Amino acid sequence: MRIDVDNLSFGYDYRTVLKNVSFSIESGDFLVIVGQNGSGKSTLVKCLLGINKVPDSKIFLNGIEINDFSNWIQIGYVPQKFDDFNYEFPITVNEILNVTKLTKADEDEKLEIMDNLGILTLQNENINTLSGGQMQRVFIARALMNHPTLLILDEPTVGVDQDNTDRFYRVVNDLNDQGVTIMLISHDLNSSKANFSHAMWLDNGEATLKNISEVALGGEE
Amino acid sequence: MGIEPLIMASSFIRALIEREFMQLALITGVFIGFLAPLIGAFVVIKRLSLIADTLSHFSLAGLAIGMYFINILSLPIGDPLYIGMVFGIIGALLIEVLRGYYRNYKEISMPIVISIGTALSALFISLSGGFNSSVYNYLFGSILTVGRNFVIIISLVTLVILALVIIFYKQIVIVSFDEAYARLLGISVRKFQIVTTIILGIVVSLAIETVGVLLVGSLMIIPVATAMKVGRSFKSTLALAIIFSEASVLLGLWFSYIFSIPSGATIVLFNIAIMVSVVILKKFFFNRSLKEKQS
Ligand SMILES: Nc1ncnc2c1ncn2[C@@H]1O[C@H](COP(=O)(O)OP(=O)(O)O)[C@@H](O)[C@H]1O
Ligand SMILES: [Mg+2]
Repeated sequence: MRIDVDNLSFGYDYRTVLKNVSFSIESGDFLVIVGQNGSGKSTLVKCLLGINKVPDSKIFLNGIEINDFSNWIQIGYVPQKFDDFNYEFPITVNEILNVTKLTKADEDEKLEIMDNLGILTLQNENINTLSGGQMQRVFIARALMNHPTLLILDEPTVGVDQDNTDRFYRVVNDLNDQGVTIMLISHDLNSSKANFSHAMWLDNGEATLKNISEVALGGEE
Repeated sequence: MGIEPLIMASSFIRALIEREFMQLALITGVFIGFLAPLIGAFVVIKRLSLIADTLSHFSLAGLAIGMYFINILSLPIGDPLYIGMVFGIIGALLIEVLRGYYRNYKEISMPIVISIGTALSALFISLSGGFNSSVYNYLFGSILTVGRNFVIIISLVTLVILALVIIFYKQIVIVSFDEAYARLLGISVRKFQIVTTIILGIVVSLAIETVGVLLVGSLMIIPVATAMKVGRSFKSTLALAIIFSEASVLLGLWFSYIFSIPSGATIVLFNIAIMVSVVILKKFFFNRSLKEKQS
């Protein structure tokens, strides 16, 4: 999915978080967004998802103005924390994935996705008994249920052990090879094994986008 | 002891076979016992447990206004229940509006709606002649006096709600557990909220007939609270909640008939007794399995 952001500013109440952010990525790109805590990474992502309402003509998804965009099912999203999810009430991994897959992914595909993420054995577990890392992978699986053409991952490997982090990057890199556009928020560009094509720094709400050759040449500022 | 419980059970069963009012009470109890925890589960998931009590107080205002219309103004309404249902729905929508208005202090909506409901109730109860037996019944329930009309309404409502839950199962579950994600899946969250809110208002106002305004909340919440502690999957938790709830209704009806004690209170006390037993049993088994693991 192609994304164009044009001079986007966004704030909560009286506070500006994003300042004149502009960038574009093509379908099939792999963008990593880096920046300090509180620099506005999650805020930017929520704008792209329509969770944060933005003025007209600031964001275009596949060329469609975001306030007219309706094909949200194309986007898979793994939120940073699962605050939005009302857990503590019993529900199994399978039940979550089954209600999420609206039509496309069939049962075999679901199992394959779970297998790739190493959560096949957790199918009938109550999610409230899972560890943080297992929970994270369940939410990644959920994001993959409806064949996304854009996958947005907000700090998905925080608190996940090295083996599973490696496994995670294999899955994400594979998806990108298959043409899925990836937007990955990471606190640390250097340690990630992402095959990214572009990196963007958010600093105090201001964005600088570079492609991979520029990153390799110039390094971080 | 010994043979006595059998005699008591058989006299209860004979009453069920011979007395129409017992049959109507049983049907009503079984339907409400099914609907209350079914709807209650979704309320609990969304952390809105107090909404049932709030709506019951608002619905009481409708019942009081209905009594005023019928007793004082002699309007041909038939049953205050209808106005109670309308108020249940209005109260539910009012909560939704207030929750949007006080975005960061959503729970403020509850005391506001309770206040309006209680004030209007007090006013119209007094205007329509003060405290009487129907007011007592609204407060504490009167399942043994429900009429045929009511049973028809509750059967239809149960069927419609059950059908909606089955048809929209996926959407309802996603919207309850994760609103943000539901929106991303293209589900019209707003529409779902309005429909579920209306359903909630209707169920609460119907449940008032069974256990009364003051106990409706417990009927919807306690079986779910019990089931949450032992269920593993969402479906098994729902099923357990309904089983606990139906058991309380049946035991409550039986005991209230045998001992001539208020049915609503008895049903709710059984709900609580089941909760306490489950909590204790769980602790016992959980501790034992821990010890087995350690040894
Ligand atoms: N819902 C919200 N309401 C008010 N302020 C918020 C909200 N979400 C984030 N913020 C603030 O916006 C700033 C950017 O937050 P965020 O986008 O989460 O940063 P990051 O993801 O880069 O750590 C922070 O100062 C944060 O406190
Ligand atoms: Mg963040």
